[in-house]
Amino acid sequence: MSKTQDAPKESPSPRDPYDFSVIVPICERHDDLSELYNQYTKILSKRGKHFEFIFVLDGPNPEIREALKSLMKTSLGIKVIELNRAFGEATALSVGFEQARGAAFITLASYFQVEPEQLHKLLDIFEAGEHDLVISRRFPRIDSVFNQLQSRAFHLIMRVLTGAKYHDVSCGLRIMGPKVTKEVHLYGDLHRFLPLLAYQKGFRVFEVPVRQSVQDKKTRVHKPGIYLRRLLDILTLFFLFKFTRKPLRFFGLVGSALFGTGTLGLSYLVIYRLMGIGAIAGRPLLLLSVLLMVVGIQFFSIGLLGEIIIFTHASKTKDYQIKAVLE
Amino acid sequence: MNTALNPKPYLSVAVPVYNEEDSVCLLYEKIRVVCESLNKDYEIIFVDDGSSDRTLEILAEIQKNDAHVKAVSFRKNYGQTAAMAAGFDCAQGENVVSMDGDLQNDPSDIPMLLKKMEEGYDVVCGWRKNRQDKFWSRRFPSIIANWIIGRVTGVRIHDNGCSLKAYRASIIKNVFLYGEMHRFIPAMTTLTGARVSEIVVKHHARQFGKSKYGISRVWRVILDIITVKMIIGFASKPLRWFGFFSLPFIIATFFAFFSAVDLLQRDHTEVWLVTATVGLLCLFLSTHLISLGIIGELSMKTGDFRPSKGLHPNIKILQQTDHKED
Repeated sequence: MSKTQDAPKESPSPRDPYDFSVIVPICERHDDLSELYNQYTKILSKRGKHFEFIFVLDGPNPEIREALKSLMKTSLGIKVIELNRAFGEATALSVGFEQARGAAFITLASYFQVEPEQLHKLLDIFEAGEHDLVISRRFPRIDSVFNQLQSRAFHLIMRVLTGAKYHDVSCGLRIMGPKVTKEVHLYGDLHRFLPLLAYQKGFRVFEVPVRQSVQDKKTRVHKPGIYLRRLLDILTLFFLFKFTRKPLRFFGLVGSALFGTGTLGLSYLVIYRLMGIGAIAGRPLLLLSVLLMVVGIQFFSIGLLGEIIIFTHASKTKDYQIKAVLE
Repeated sequence: MNTALNPKPYLSVAVPVYNEEDSVCLLYEKIRVVCESLNKDYEIIFVDDGSSDRTLEILAEIQKNDAHVKAVSFRKNYGQTAAMAAGFDCAQGENVVSMDGDLQNDPSDIPMLLKKMEEGYDVVCGWRKNRQDKFWSRRFPSIIANWIIGRVTGVRIHDNGCSLKAYRASIIKNVFLYGEMHRFIPAMTTLTGARVSEIVVKHHARQFGKSKYGISRVWRVILDIITVKMIIGFASKPLRWFGFFSLPFIIATFFAFFSAVDLLQRDHTEVWLVTATVGLLCLFLSTHLISLGIIGELSMKTGDFRPSKGLHPNIKILQQTDHKED
């Protein structure tokens, strides 16, 4: 990873503590970044906050790099990080968190997703101190029906599989404390699921409805591969949540269902044969039943292996997160 | 923490509590009276399992007034196993007693448990012989479950589910508790060679609140029993275990192939093909199982489970002594 960090000469000392680090991962889609910077800067300055901006370029992009360089000439407290190749938004974010020096973190989408003034709402709630992670929800939605439908479907599947009742996890505007970024490990496409992962770790998450930006109206149709990937992401999370510590619960259940079906089929055939109704060797059901039983045992044994792996490798990770110890 | 306390108290009482605002004060008072009567150093550890009511506030209040008390609070509800594990992790005493936070166990049984430990046992379990619960929904399933657990794991005690148990700290701190393994603590402790015993303890009907467990967990418990059996019996030799598991399928493979050849010679064209296919499937399954066993061995090698870790304190190491006079 190469760092393009041109600190302006009159910059404050590097140890200067910031109230907030604003992290902007720049992936595929982006609007005018200096406009974005100015809008959010205005809000944070108005509240008298001391902050830094960290732009993380996910993969080389000379055009944006130059634009940001010229922005750095005129403004203070900007850091630009460029990754050697595209690692995905989650990695970009976690690199940003590592480089950040603020007491808390604000993440932004690299385009106008919501009205910038809405940041006040999130800041108010975060500063009340009741929540570790404040996320936003674009509500009411003003973009196309298609966008809304695909978002609804995604969140519905997520709710069914993981029980998480968030409405807009793809909204990039979030505020969180340093504990969250330290303990939640983000990789791949998991940035979307930050609220779920944080909740799983026992952090208090709060969702705020914010006004959607007019510039976010465009209809987005993704490639079919993207939809499949989202679905697989949810499945990954589903396993992580429910069965990490008890793989046999999952594999055992599937395995015994398959094995049971196979046994039923086979016993039907055996009774059929014993009663002398006819020959069974030529019947496809025979092979099917045996195959089902074999696959069932396979599933079950993989679950057992999973248990061995958990038992031998997971004893250092705790099942719980402690909030406070009074002694 | 009170500096007057011995760095290693004699007894730690670990109590998981979850939404017990009505009973936690009374519980603390009862435990305190019993512990004081022992005339030894003690600590009481309350683990608040992410209660949503005032439990934590009350605990903080208690803790402020008594240096013997320690309270650990979870960020959210993680379940009884995790709460117990946290209690054991925090305990500093030589002996650790765990008990329920709902007043169904009686702290006055603690001295009895400790006395039994002095007889040389490392784990003493409570047995709720006169259990004050509904028969069909709670006691009957429990009797069957305990019988099965006893048969399968070889640790035959009457009441695995009773939370009131006493342990030697060196033993319990080396038991890896995860998932819902709290039901199998006695069996898991035998991994380190612990000696397990049980005594009859009192059991009270629920005074406050509702029971937090349901009955719809039979299948999960069965899967857990299989896991525990595998871990305590064969954890250090997975290949042997999976090899054993695949044995019937290896035998079936041979049978199927021989009969297939036999059928072929007798010209039963349709039947021999089916038999041969069944044989192939069995062959496939046995190789699958043996490969899993190999991966199990790998995971064993690279993992951090060592059966020798936390060995029994009573184990006598026979050292070679110098025999000067021939």
